[in-house]
Amino acid sequence: MLGYVVRRLWQFVPTLLGVVLLVFFLFNFVGGDPAYLLAGKISNPAQIENIRRQLGVDQPYAIQLWIFVKQIASGDFGASWSTNERVSEIFATRLGPSLTVLVPLLAIGTLLAMAAAMLVAYLRGSLTDRAIMVGCTVAQSISILVYILVFQYVLAYQLGWFPVQGWGITFAENLLRYSVLAIIVGVAVSLAPDIRLYRSFFLDEINQDYVRTARAKGLSERRVLWVHVLRNAAIPIVTNILLQLPGLLAGAFLIERFFGIPGIGREVILAVERSDFPVIKAVTVYVAVATMIVNLAADLLYKAIDPRVQLK
Amino acid sequence: MSLGSHWRRSAASAVFLLAVPAALQAADPPKILRVTFQAAETGFDPVRVSDYYSGQIIEAIFDPLLTYDYLARPAKLVANAAESLPEISSDGRSYVFRIRKGVYFADDPAFKGRKRELTALDYAYSFKRFYDPRHRSPYAFLFTGKIVGLDELAEQAKASGSFDYDAPVAGLQTPDRHTLVIRLKQPDPNFSHVLAYPLSGAVAREAIEAYGDESPSHPVGSGPFLLKRYTRSSKIVLAANPGYRGKLWDFVPGDDPRQREIASQMQGKRLPRLDGVEVSIMEETQSRWLAFQRGETDIEYQLWDVAPTFMTDDGKLRPEFVRRGIQLDRTIDPEITYLYFNMQERIGEAPNPVGGFGKERIALRRAIAMSYKVEDQIRIIRKGQAVRAEYPVPPGVAGHDPGYRSLIPYDPRAANELLEKFGYRKGADGYRRQPDGAPLVIRNASTPTERDRQFDELLKRSLDSIGVRLEIQKERFPELLKLEKQCRHMTRMAAWIADYPDGDNFMQLLYGPNVNESNNACYRSKEFDRRYEKSRRLADGPERDRLYHEMTRLMEVDTVWLLLDSRIRNALQQPHVVGFTKHPVLHTEWLYLDLAPRSGD
Repeated sequence: MLGYVVRRLWQFVPTLLGVVLLVFFLFNFVGGDPAYLLAGKISNPAQIENIRRQLGVDQPYAIQLWIFVKQIASGDFGASWSTNERVSEIFATRLGPSLTVLVPLLAIGTLLAMAAAMLVAYLRGSLTDRAIMVGCTVAQSISILVYILVFQYVLAYQLGWFPVQGWGITFAENLLRYSVLAIIVGVAVSLAPDIRLYRSFFLDEINQDYVRTARAKGLSERRVLWVHVLRNAAIPIVTNILLQLPGLLAGAFLIERFFGIPGIGREVILAVERSDFPVIKAVTVYVAVATMIVNLAADLLYKAIDPRVQLK
Repeated sequence: MSLGSHWRRSAASAVFLLAVPAALQAADPPKILRVTFQAAETGFDPVRVSDYYSGQIIEAIFDPLLTYDYLARPAKLVANAAESLPEISSDGRSYVFRIRKGVYFADDPAFKGRKRELTALDYAYSFKRFYDPRHRSPYAFLFTGKIVGLDELAEQAKASGSFDYDAPVAGLQTPDRHTLVIRLKQPDPNFSHVLAYPLSGAVAREAIEAYGDESPSHPVGSGPFLLKRYTRSSKIVLAANPGYRGKLWDFVPGDDPRQREIASQMQGKRLPRLDGVEVSIMEETQSRWLAFQRGETDIEYQLWDVAPTFMTDDGKLRPEFVRRGIQLDRTIDPEITYLYFNMQERIGEAPNPVGGFGKERIALRRAIAMSYKVEDQIRIIRKGQAVRAEYPVPPGVAGHDPGYRSLIPYDPRAANELLEKFGYRKGADGYRRQPDGAPLVIRNASTPTERDRQFDELLKRSLDSIGVRLEIQKERFPELLKLEKQCRHMTRMAAWIADYPDGDNFMQLLYGPNVNESNNACYRSKEFDRRYEKSRRLADGPERDRLYHEMTRLMEVDTVWLLLDSRIRNALQQPHVVGFTKHPVLHTEWLYLDLAPRSGD
């Protein structure tokens, strides 16, 4: 086991190097020169050069790349080019709001999707199954933007159940007042694809020999489903959730923008709009590292849940 | 709810109300104005920001020497932290300001418990900061090349790596604590406007040094508000500065009935009336529009996309909003949008088909300009919320000529004839070729945004109508800026909003020596430059107007720009907002507003 973990950790290095090279070259060749943005409305070539020198983008690419590597090693990505805020401070202050929305969203969404998926898997081929699957296909084809616009309009504006947007001071206020609509939208968006995916996981298990054996032993259908099938189907479900996490953190920008949540996703978009390379670098590296760690954790979890799994 | 529980609740409420002391019942709720920004701020250190939204907060916190009369139109300078307008020497090079006595910075730990008076030294220090290369100030252009001795100090700082704030500067003298003498290298009739710009407000050196790189999030000023709570890119909460010197609302209204109404409501009141301002960053139009309609915000003016929802075609508020007491204030922004051509003969090594002063090149630019229907742009893209721009100086800005009419009409038929006359013949594919037979392709640079895509489509339709092939060069915004600063683009549509309300701020966009700085059309005309240099030494008046008129004609004859439009700003206000009228130059009106009790207060 230890040998496996060490091998996997070693594999992080070339993967991370690939990510570093990709983001570095994308920024330098596609991202645009930030000096022109920071220089303001009226600037002369000398001022542009001064800014480029201060940002270090006038250095040879090899040196810039080496600085990037050193930043990863030290975990210090410096300060935002546009706001002067430390990148570490950006993550420290934006992570909380993102998690306030994402953790309940994932928990509620997963529970609802699992319950619905188990039901339709159990009723496979029935009218209910077909109706729900058709509904899921339709729901999945609708853009997240439509969900946001409609839910915000109906639930916040017309019915007045929630504030249209905003963010408060206390955790309780944010969770119970400002995050609820965002969580509802997030759950509504994720429900359809999750039900379809989890249904396939449940169907894989329901058709296994051990389920037939359990039924032959006279176990109740409830016990077969809730104990035997659920336990085995939970492995790919947990893996799926873990793999979604890093991407969700940076990818929830639309929800964060519409509902005024000061989270990581919104910060990423701002950084891209402003060509704020220190923030872009940090986000990319953190998401890459988180994805690799989660992948490793998922593999170890497999082994823990199912001893038949061989780690090579 | 049952009748019994309702009765019990009412009775409990009555007992509670009786128990509350009368004085407490009479206490007014705090007057907190709730507004939105449609883009995130970047910080509140005057030398480090360039965005409009950060400028709004800076204006509320810091005190410039001068400001603008709230009601006078066109905008009129008045004293702010200075006791009066400056004494200007006869040669126009020397400005003397007397700073008000007894004005204090807001209390801050940087002052170590002492009251800190605002002095002339603070302005001298604040202006020097714009020259410090370490700050790479985006608004350094307001000061660069103007004050005697400071450019030299900036050069020394570049060489030594640090700016010497204590070095004596001939152009920036403080003979006593409350007198500031500024000496300019050459007369500049607009310099007073620079000193009224929000970023020209005074900072305290102790505060700047105490907070160092954190200064953008720790603004300490002597203005009417102070920063109470700040969640970056999300919420900015300002509180009335308890130590603010105060001001009386004392403005003379013009003939506008709205101004008269405001004056009758506000005259003689002590400012600020608000206890605070709460700014929420809301990037999405739907969020801002719904929040306003739900009463979650008090003023909203960033609603171009949904303007037809609340306005009739003739610019009036729809009856359902009038019934709710919503107020509408409409002003034309002090800005122009324009399509411009790169006037250089070559772009890098390649010939530029739209550049140069040859007759056939002028004919091509003219034909392109004549094919573009500005009215369609206003109707389709602006949704009627803009007016045609005919003059480079927009309405509300000194030097504007409302009687001027453009030489360039919308006339695609004449444009086609012009191209035929100058040898731009159509090929088998239906598109024209250059007079020498080379392919003719116009490349318009724009960003990959939805709004720019609409402009691209309109331009494509226009150029198709004259048989000219258009390619769209999509670039991210920073790259677009780089292209135009280096004269490597062919055409682009752009906007320019006034930094100060004077025509010079617009005319300098065509001045030859400003190529690579702000003259993004890369236009070099001796005739234009000669007139501009003369105009720069003149204050607003008939002589300068005549020069501006001639310069505009020259620009049109050479067809450097096609002027497009100036947007209309529709500010919606809740019924309880008192005293609002959009000022053409000030970033915010918060200092001059009051809030009446809301229904339910």
